[in-house]
Amino acid sequence: MRLTDEMKDALKVVGKGGVVVHLTTCNADGKCNTVGERFITVVKDKYILIADMFAQKTKVNLQENPIAIITVAHPVKDRTWAFRGPTTCLIPGLPPDYEFHGLNAKEVLDEWGNWAEKEPPDEVPPDIRPPVCMQRGLIAMKVEEVYSYKPDESGKKIL
Amino acid sequence: MTQLTPRMKNWIEYFGGHIGTATKRGFPTTIVVETAKVEGINIINFPLTDAQINHIKDNISENPQVAIGPGGLGCVRAPYQLKGTAKINGKDLTVKVNEIYCTKPGPEAGKRLDVMPYGEVEEFDQSHWKDLTPPKE
Repeated sequence: MRLTDEMKDALKVVGKGGVVVHLTTCNADGKCNTVGERFITVVKDKYILIADMFAQKTKVNLQENPIAIITVAHPVKDRTWAFRGPTTCLIPGLPPDYEFHGLNAKEVLDEWGNWAEKEPPDEVPPDIRPPVCMQRGLIAMKVEEVYSYKPDESGKKIL
Repeated sequence: MTQLTPRMKNWIEYFGGHIGTATKRGFPTTIVVETAKVEGINIINFPLTDAQINHIKDNISENPQVAIGPGGLGCVRAPYQLKGTAKINGKDLTVKVNEIYCTKPGPEAGKRLDVMPYGEVEEFDQSHWKDLTPPKE
């Protein structure tokens, strides 16, 4: 399964023409957590990366229930997509050959482990910009399913 | 008792929310509802389409716990997360909000607001935000 060029073009930081998303996780008993995320990108056509900066409950949930959903939140522009798949936290210190569903942790941490320097949140207004971006790692999803969240066809399979 | 502030009410009503649901064994499904109506101090009604009802009815039936992040521009400018219990009432998803969190990136990310006295939550809102109502897009 490979994301389309249109999806890859959307799943990047807003400053580069991308979107802010909501990331939904839940604990093993199904209690959900839904939070907005700005630092996002796609690698190797099927993995979505999000910076792990302030994700607290997200991280707890993923440790006990490694699956999540990412929904496009703003600007939507008809990109009514929900991405679902196995998801984990990649933290510095993992063995260099550690792989998550075929994604090498060291490789992506080397490239995206200091995201605020790579893609600083300059477009974010001062009153909602984090004073300090303390990144602890990456949240990585292997997308296995994309469905539409458009109200009249919610759940319709796209990929 | 959990109580939404006027700012929370205004933003969630105007932009609706991304509503996270899950089976009782933790398989998630998120729907997006583009508008909402707040009733009283902590009840939110989201009007659903037939497709949305079909999409989440089994989840809500076996596990009424939901999490809500404001939709549209609200995901950025209204960084709240609401958690509660939901039921499908006719064509509405009715959510009773039990927990409110601040999700503003930074040291206050994850701060639980509903455990504070209501007056302090209003002060928190007023000290952080000037936009009590969302801009008309």
